[in-house]
Parts: sequence; structure tokens; C-alpha cells
Amino acid sequence: MASKRGIDSQVELVQIDGLVVLKMIKHSQEEGAGGTDLVQGVLLGMVVENRLEITNCFPFPKHNEDEDFDQVSVQYQIEMMRNLRHVNVDHLHVGWYQSSYFGAFINRALLDSQFNYQHSIEESVVLIYDPLRTTQGFLSLKAYRLTPEMMKFYKESDFTPENMAKHGINFETILEEIPIVLRNSHLVNALLCELSDKTKKDQKFSALDLGTSSMLEKNLRQLMECVDEVAVDTNKYLNYQRNNFRQQQTKQQYILKRDQENLQRKQRGEPPLPEEDLNKLFKPLPTPQRLDCTLVAGQMDSYCKQVCEFASQSLAKLFMAETLHVDQTN
Amino acid sequence: MSRFFHAGSDSETESESSDDGVVDVRPTGLTRAVLQFSDDEEETKRVVRSEKDKRFDELKGIIKVLKNHKKIKDMANVLTDFESLTRAFDKARKVVDREGLPRFYIRTLADLEDFVNECWEDKEWRKNISKGNSKGLSTVRQKIKKYNRDFEAQLTAYRENPDAGDEDAEDEEEVKAADEEPAKPVVKKEEKAPKAPKVVTGDDDDDSDWGTESSEEESSSEDEARGISHWTAEYFLKSTTEQEAQRREERKLEKKLRKEEKEGKKKEEEEDDDEEGWQKVNSGAPSQAITEKPKLFAKDQEITLDAVVKKLNEIIIMRGKKGTDRSMMIELLQELKTIAEGANLGKPLAVKICFNIMAAIYDYNPNIATCMKSEMWEKSSLPTIQELLDTLVENTDIQVSETISEENELLDKGGPYRIRGCILTMVERLDEEFTKMLQACDAHSTEFVERLKDEQAMCDIIVKLESYLEKHGTSEEMCRIYLRHIEHLYYKFDPSAFETATPEQPDKTSQAVMDRMCKFIYAKDNTDRLRTRAMLCHIYHHALHDRWYQARDLMVISNLQDNIQYSDVSTQILYNRTLVQLGLCGFRQGHIRDAHNALVDIQSSNRAKELLAQGLVPQRQHERSPEQEKIEKRRLLPYHKHINLELLECVYLVSAMLIEIPFMAAHELELRKRLISKNFHHVLKMSERQTLTGPPESMREHVVAASKSMKNGDWKKCRNYIINEKMNAKVWDLFYQADKVRDMISAKIQEESLRTYLFRYSAMYDSLSLESLATMFEISPRLVHATISKMIINEELMASLDEPTQIVVMHRTEPTRLQSLALQLSEKVGSLVDNNERIMEIKQGNFFFFNKNNVTGNRPDQRDNYQNQNQQGWGGRGRQQRNQNRDRGDRGDRGGDRERGGDRDYRGGDRDRDHRGGDRDNYRNRDQRERY
Repeated sequence: MASKRGIDSQVELVQIDGLVVLKMIKHSQEEGAGGTDLVQGVLLGMVVENRLEITNCFPFPKHNEDEDFDQVSVQYQIEMMRNLRHVNVDHLHVGWYQSSYFGAFINRALLDSQFNYQHSIEESVVLIYDPLRTTQGFLSLKAYRLTPEMMKFYKESDFTPENMAKHGINFETILEEIPIVLRNSHLVNALLCELSDKTKKDQKFSALDLGTSSMLEKNLRQLMECVDEVAVDTNKYLNYQRNNFRQQQTKQQYILKRDQENLQRKQRGEPPLPEEDLNKLFKPLPTPQRLDCTLVAGQMDSYCKQVCEFASQSLAKLFMAETLHVDQTN
Repeated sequence: MSRFFHAGSDSETESESSDDGVVDVRPTGLTRAVLQFSDDEEETKRVVRSEKDKRFDELKGIIKVLKNHKKIKDMANVLTDFESLTRAFDKARKVVDREGLPRFYIRTLADLEDFVNECWEDKEWRKNISKGNSKGLSTVRQKIKKYNRDFEAQLTAYRENPDAGDEDAEDEEEVKAADEEPAKPVVKKEEKAPKAPKVVTGDDDDDSDWGTESSEEESSSEDEARGISHWTAEYFLKSTTEQEAQRREERKLEKKLRKEEKEGKKKEEEEDDDEEGWQKVNSGAPSQAITEKPKLFAKDQEITLDAVVKKLNEIIIMRGKKGTDRSMMIELLQELKTIAEGANLGKPLAVKICFNIMAAIYDYNPNIATCMKSEMWEKSSLPTIQELLDTLVENTDIQVSETISEENELLDKGGPYRIRGCILTMVERLDEEFTKMLQACDAHSTEFVERLKDEQAMCDIIVKLESYLEKHGTSEEMCRIYLRHIEHLYYKFDPSAFETATPEQPDKTSQAVMDRMCKFIYAKDNTDRLRTRAMLCHIYHHALHDRWYQARDLMVISNLQDNIQYSDVSTQILYNRTLVQLGLCGFRQGHIRDAHNALVDIQSSNRAKELLAQGLVPQRQHERSPEQEKIEKRRLLPYHKHINLELLECVYLVSAMLIEIPFMAAHELELRKRLISKNFHHVLKMSERQTLTGPPESMREHVVAASKSMKNGDWKKCRNYIINEKMNAKVWDLFYQADKVRDMISAKIQEESLRTYLFRYSAMYDSLSLESLATMFEISPRLVHATISKMIINEELMASLDEPTQIVVMHRTEPTRLQSLALQLSEKVGSLVDNNERIMEIKQGNFFFFNKNNVTGNRPDQRDNYQNQNQQGWGGRGRQQRNQNRDRGDRGDRGGDRERGGDRDYRGGDRDRDHRGGDRDNYRNRDQRERY
């Protein structure tokens, strides 16, 4: 099915049913131990024109230490999808979802599984739900997928700087975000309208929480961790460069010496020294892998965006609060 | 007489049989006999198919096969039989130890040896036999020779009196036990025993027999006890006949008689006996002794001083020679001493012989790792020394010195006597042996306690010698004996030191004694070692009795910490012990920081046990060589000197907690973590790593839990974790005045919790009332005031005290947590940027290098490049300079650079970027060029 559509019919919008969101939230609430454990699940739906409609989902079974967990989980998924098909619910696999802790989700594991998904089902996306940020007052739900370049790059699994440059991969071009639209049926909308009238006032304004420091502190700490990681990586790279430089130098010297000797021998009429494999003498140093570093950079990028977003919202709230205060005092 | 009533007598039989050397080797015979002749036997025994029977049957089976092989002279098989026989005997060793050596075994051995020798002699036959046979013959000959050496005594006894076992010689299955025959010797001996020789030169044979008997009686009496416990029910059910009773009466009487004998004969004889007792088990010594003893003095020889001295010298000459039986030497010397005493040859000679006995005893054990046997200790060395010392003290006219040569000795009657020897060395050696014996015991056995009782005797000896030397010795000798005394004294806790009332004899307290002796050593000693040790012991003693300032001052004055690493290991161990004790003392006195400092070194390595020589810790990296292990084992302290390690760790952890938790709270936001005590952090970390933290169980968990609650300023919880039933039982009750210590800890916890609270939460307050703080931590407002003032002075707390309203006003100059985090982040990012720049620079350098070497034709181009770069204003140059700096590895400079880095970037942002842009262009150009 995936192969039928060309690349032109890229999914440009993800439309999520309210049901899916609620199910995800419920899952992470119940099994995620208050957002500290990661939960994962399968998204079901189908592609309509350039829109990916996600209409249902189900959670992965809880992770346990068994060795055959993968097998069990695959079995479970297939079984689940078959059952859903029987009850005439959408059963097409269109991706997966994962909860995250303060936006820390860009890592190798995610990349791996998303690559596998996209490899077999082209249109699949990953939904990232952040329970902690959601408790701060706004729903944090994002849809991501790997860029086509990244797909190619990852397929080669050659993470040297050269290859990265060739594919034009940097931290911005690993993942692309797809806009999300939440959709509810009219009946649900009607119900919501009714409910909103009934809710108490103080419940309504949870989004106006003025406390900022804890959130920012968390983000800063995470950022610092990332910076440390990058710094370590940079040092590694620096070392590599230095060693490489030194090696090149000795190599050059060796070649020069050899050339001179050969010249002398020529003058004396002797046959030149046999060519030796330079690579054997000077084994090329392994170039450090850049993927992890890039991922961390991507993570940092997403943190920064989060902070910016949060700061702008908080600032607005604070200004609002200030005016309220001024009014009161006046 | 049914066999039933003999049930109870089995033990008796044993003791009876073991009474005599002849009978005790054949208990099996008796056992067998019971089955057949139970009715009219006096010495009967109820039979149980026991391990013993099993083993002995096995032996007999092998012996039978052996006999058959012997008959056909199949030497190869004889050899295998002999080997299996010895193996079986080894298996039966346990039984044999209990029951005595079976007669038939000895007989087999003797017969086999005879047989082999016979075969060996028979040269004609030897020529004819097959190769395997002759080989078997020679091997078995060597083996049996070697093997029989262990049983020499029994063999000789057997050979002397082979008839005793003749009856069962024909067939093992029919061991008749020869009840009448062996019984007779028993009776005979018993009769003989009471009139055991008073004439020492008399019947030696008897003497030795007697000795065997008494020692073995002891062991068999144990058996008796065991036997009774086994047989209780039957024992009491079955009645004994009159005859039996009578026999018992007789035996009792006899025993009594013997006991009286023993007492009469005094301890020397006892020693004598016991010597032989265990010798007999060990080797064939007694038999040798028997054969050699007559050599000592002819029966009618007159015992004079000269003769004895001559004999003594003869014996001494054997010393150290190969093949000399060391145990025999001791025995001979003791014998000689009794002879000398019997002949009343005067004290000096006795002293001289005593010296030699001690020397021989010390010589006995050639291996320094193993200790003296406890019997030897109890029966010979301790009394000998005591006697020696008593004699010396009583007879002041005996002069003893190492410097007197053998020739100059004066032993004749009258006048001052001069004897070569050194009582001090003897006592020192004895002390060392004592320590070794304690080391060898299991610390939790009664054996250890038994040994430890001798500690008092040891101390008495030392004190006696001390008073003796005070009169006769040089100051050097006095230093030595004082140190011995000190080392027996310093670790002993003296509760009287804490009593407020002055003791009646102020100069008799341990403190006074220590003071006196240590000061003597400080003044008179000229070897550094003694002084160091004395000082350490002195400090230890002070610390043990809570005299903190004296102990600390002495430690500081001594300056030991600087040069202790040059001293020997045992002194270093003593130093560690002293340091630890000082730490504990400091803790009891509330000097937390000092306590922590004293303990941190010992604790940080996690090898406290090893450092204090209280046990061997298995090493992870490399195995110890056996020699190394032996050396280390020798260093270990006997158990009664140990310092409780759990107490030690607890005190360390609690003091670390009291210091570290406020410190951590104060420096929470700092980038670089400074650790005061690593071990404490390690413990904390370990507990954090646990997935589930239950209620604390161990001491360590308690402290960790307390630390956590202290971190949150919850002092009550903290105190409850530290001071509770469990911890009391585990740790605190080990202190002498536990309540005082607990109060001190509680007060400290309150104070430090207050500090922690202020550090952590002061940012939340504008002002804080001292009153409320005082009620919160349940301490006096004065103390709160003092604590806060101290913090303000030390600039730990940015606040000021408002006296009239009694509040603390916070200044809020510290950055908030968010701000400091942001600062940290910016710092980190700064360094990251720096690193990145360096990467770029290396790339440039790289390029340079390549060009120079690679393509010689490109030279003008390259120069252009260079100029280009130079022209790019001071920014570029600055960078190059920096680059050079870095190449030189000038790190300090770079640090400065980084600090200024922010500024530079802002100011020169544009220019820098320009420059970088240029760089990039260059780079691109280069790329293109390279491609061409």
C-alpha cells in the first residue's frame, strides 16, 4: 500500500481523534508512574489525500525483562489488530506514540524504531506526548517523522562527518514536525460545550499558573546535561583531529624520506625500493561517529524551543497578572 | 552377671584400658570379647556397630589379604596392600585417636617389617624373583621403614612384649582380647603407680609409664563424660554389681592416691608427665627417652654440681644440631632439674637450668608462624619463668646478665653467683609467644578465654620483673620492660578514671602508672622506637579515658604523623589504632570535626580492618602469596585488643553527616562539587541507587536515612534515626557513658539541622524570627543567635541580625536557583564554544600543513593565503596568538581568556564574524583548489 503512493503524496497534516489523545493520556497516567516512565503504543488510522488520520490506538504491553519480549509484543500487536479488524475499527498501522519526560525524546532508540516504522510503512509518524508539560496547563503533543534525507543516511549507517555532509544532515534535518489537528465528532463537541458550562471557575484557569521557575530550572538542567555531553563529544573530536594531524605528519615525513632515498638510488642506478602499503603502516584512525552528537544537538534545539515557547507564554501571563495588580491597587 | 549391667562401664573400660600402655592399643580386642565372654569378664563393653568397628573390620580385611600375599611372597601385591592399609588407617584416624592404636595394626606393621627385612636378607631369593616383585620389595621396605617411624614407641613396646598379643596373633576374628592377661598388667601397674618413684634416678621406665597414664587419663575422662551422655538411660537403668562397685571404689581410691601423689610431686613432675604425654602421641620420643635416660646418670653415681653442669653442657651442645629431638631436650633438661633439686644443689644451678629449659622451649618450635602448644605453655613455660623470676627476686646474690660469658659463671656455693642469661629477653619472648597463642585461638571459643586468663599471669610476671629490674637493671632494660608493661596496659579501660572522687592511691591508677612509665621512657630511652611506641600507647590511653586535650596535645607535640611512615609496620598499626581511638575520644567529647579528620583516612580506603590489623581482607586485584599472608597473619592483634569496627564506622559516618550535610546545603548550586569525605558520599550514593529504600536496618542505612532527613531540615527524624533502640544496641551502648554521648549527638544534630535549614531555605524568607527558629529546633534562642552570628561572620549567610525585634533579615544578594543555573549553563556553553573554535583552528592548521608538504607548486598561493589572513585585522592576529598560546599548552592563559571571552565576543562580534566568514571563504577556495 505504501509503495503505491509516490513521494509526492507526502502527508502534510496529522489529524488526531480526541479518542486517541484521551487514550494516550490515560495510558501514560496509569502506567507511566506520573510521567517518569515511558509508555508506548500503536497508532491506527489511514491516509486520506495528504492527511494522516489517526483514529484509534492501543498501548504496548508493559515492558518486562524477558528476553522474548519483542516476540511477545509483536504477537500482541498482530493479535490486537486482528481483533480490531473483527469489530470493524480502523486497523491500519500508521505509527506509534511515546510519552516523554520534559521533552527528552530525541535519542537513538527513537530514531531506530521510527526508522524501522518508516522503512516498512512509509507514512508512519511518532506522536510525542509530554505528561509533565501537560500538567503545567497546556497539552503537549507533537507528531514527528524522519526526513527523507535522514532515512537515506540512516540506511547507510555510516555516521562519519563526511557522509553527514554529503547527505546534508544536521540537527535540524533529522526530524520534521508535522502539524497536528485535533478533531472531534460533533456529538463530542456538543458534550464538551455542555461540560465547559458546568465546570467550576478555578478549574478553568489552571493554564494561568504563574509559577515559572521549576519548569525553567528543569529545562536548564536538562540543557546543561546536553551541553556536557556535547562538550565531551567535542573533546573526542578534538583529540581525533590532533591524532589525525600527527599521523598525517609522520606519514608525510615517511613519504618524503622514501622519495629522497629512491632518488638517490636512481642516481646510483639501483632499483627503487618497493612500494609499501601506506595504509598498513599508518592505519587510518577511526573517525568519531557524529550521529549521537547530532542527536544531542537536536535535543538541545528542541529544549531551547520549549524554553522559548514557555517563556513567551509565561511572560504574557505575567504581564496580564501585573495589569490585574495595577488595577487592584488603583 | 549379665552383659547389661556392664553397659555403664564401657567408659570405665576405656579409661581403664587407656590407663595402661599395653592395653590401650587394643580396645578392639575388648570389644570383640564382649560378645563372647560377657558373662565372666570384668572389663567388658557393650557393643555397638560403630564407626570404629567398621573401620577396624576394614583394616582387618586388608591385613588378611596382606598375610596371604606374604605367604606367597608376592611383593608387588604386598606393596599395594600396604598402601591400602595405610590409607584405611588414615581413614580410621579419628577412631584411633579416640580409642587408641589398635594392637593388631601394630602387630601387622611389626610383622611386615620383619618379613620384608627377612626377604631383603635372602639374597638368593631376591635374585630369582621377577622385576615387579623386586621393585615392590624395595619400595615396601623403604615405605615401611618410614612409616614405622611414627609408631616407634608402640612397636618397641610390642617387640618387647610380643606375647601379650600372641593369643590373637593367629586369627584376627578370634581376638580373645586376652582379658586376663592384659588385666594383669593393669593391676600390676596400678599397684605400682602409687609408689611412683620418689627416687628420681630410680625406675625410669615406670616413670614414663606413669606420665603417659596421667595425661591420657585426662583425655579418657572426657570420653567418659561423652560416653555417659550417650548412655544415660541405660546407664541409670542398669544396676551394677557389688563387684563392680567395689572396683570403682578401688579405682577412686587409686585416683585419689595418684592425685595426692601428683601434688606431692610438684609441678615439675607434672610438666614432665605431660611432656611425655603429648610426645607419645607425636613421635617415638619416649621410647628413645627410655633407652637414653639411663645415660643421664648411672644409678649409683653421685650427683654433684660439676656432674650436673657437665651433663647440662652435654645436653646443650646437642642444641641446634640436626637430628636432635627438641622435645627430648626439654624433657632431659627438666629431668636434670629435678635431679639437681633432688640433690639440693642450690638455686643458682636451678636458675641456670631454668634458663636452658626456656631456651629449649623457645627452640622447640622452628616455625615462627605457629605458636606454642597450650599444654606446653601452661605446664612448662609459664611456671618455669615464674619460678625463675621468683628465685631471682628472692636470691639477690644471683647476678644474671647476658654479658657474663660461660667461663665466668659462678655457680659454687657461697658468695655472689654469676649466671649467663637474660631474664628480660626470656620474658619478652614469653610475651610474644603469648600473643601468638592468642592469635592462634578462635576468638569466640572458650579456649581463647582460657588463654586470656593467663594475661593476668603474664602481667604479674612483667610487674615482678619490673620491680626486679628497678633494683638491678639498666635504664635501657627498664625502658624495655616498661614498654612491655605499657603494652599490656594501654588498651585496658579503667572506669575508675571517670570517678570524680580521687582514688585512695593516686599513684596506683592506670593513668598514673602510664604517666610514670611513659615519662621514664621519654627521658631515658635512646632508641626511637620505644619512645614512639610508648607515646602512642600513652595517647591511646588518654584517648580511651576521654582526656581529649592531653591526648591531642601529645599527638601534636609528638609530630608523629610526619614520620610515622618510616617506622615499622607494627608501630604503624599502633599509630592507626591510636588515631582511631583519638577520633572516638574526640567524638565523645563533641569535637566532631577533629573526630572526622582523625577517622577519615582510616575509613576512606575501606580497609579499616586491615589497617587496624584486626583481620585479613581478601584483596581484589591480586592474591597474596602465602608468605605474605603469613606475615600479615602474624601482625594481627589478638581479639581482646580489637576496636569495634562498626562503632568506628558509625562514628565516622555520623561526624561526616554533621559536617557534610550543611556543607552540601551551602554549596548546592556550585558547579564543582567539593567533597569533604568521599566515603560518606559513596555511602549516600549507594543508597540512592537502590530501587527500593525500606526502613533502615543496618547501622549504615540508619545514618543514611538520618542524613536525608537532616538535608530537609527535619532534625527530629534525623535524631530518631541516629538514636534509637537498634542503634543503641549496635553502637552507642558500646561507649562508656552512652547517655552523655547521645545527648551530645542530639544537640549537634539540632544545631547542624538549623544550619542546613538556613542554607537551604533562607532564600524563601525575607526575615526570620529567632524565637520561631528556637522553637522549631527546640534549642535556646541564645544558641540560635550564636549559630546565626557565626554564619554571618563566616559569610555563609547573607543576612543581618535585628536585635530589638530579634529577627534575621535576609539580604538576598545570592542569585536565585534559576539564576545560578543560568549562569552555570552560560559558563558551560562558553567553554563549548571555545572548544568548537579550537576545532576550527586545527582545521586551518591542517590545511596549512598539507599545502606545505603536499604540492610544492602551490607555494605562492599559499603565501597569499597567509598574507590574507594576516591582513584580516587584529581579530585574526589575536586568534593566532591565542592559538600559539594553546599550542604551548599554556592553560592558565586560556582560563583567563575564557573569562574574558564573553566580553570579547560581544564587542568584537561583528568583526569576528567577518573574519570567520573570510575564513570560510578561504576554506572553500582551498577546497576547490584541491579538487583541481
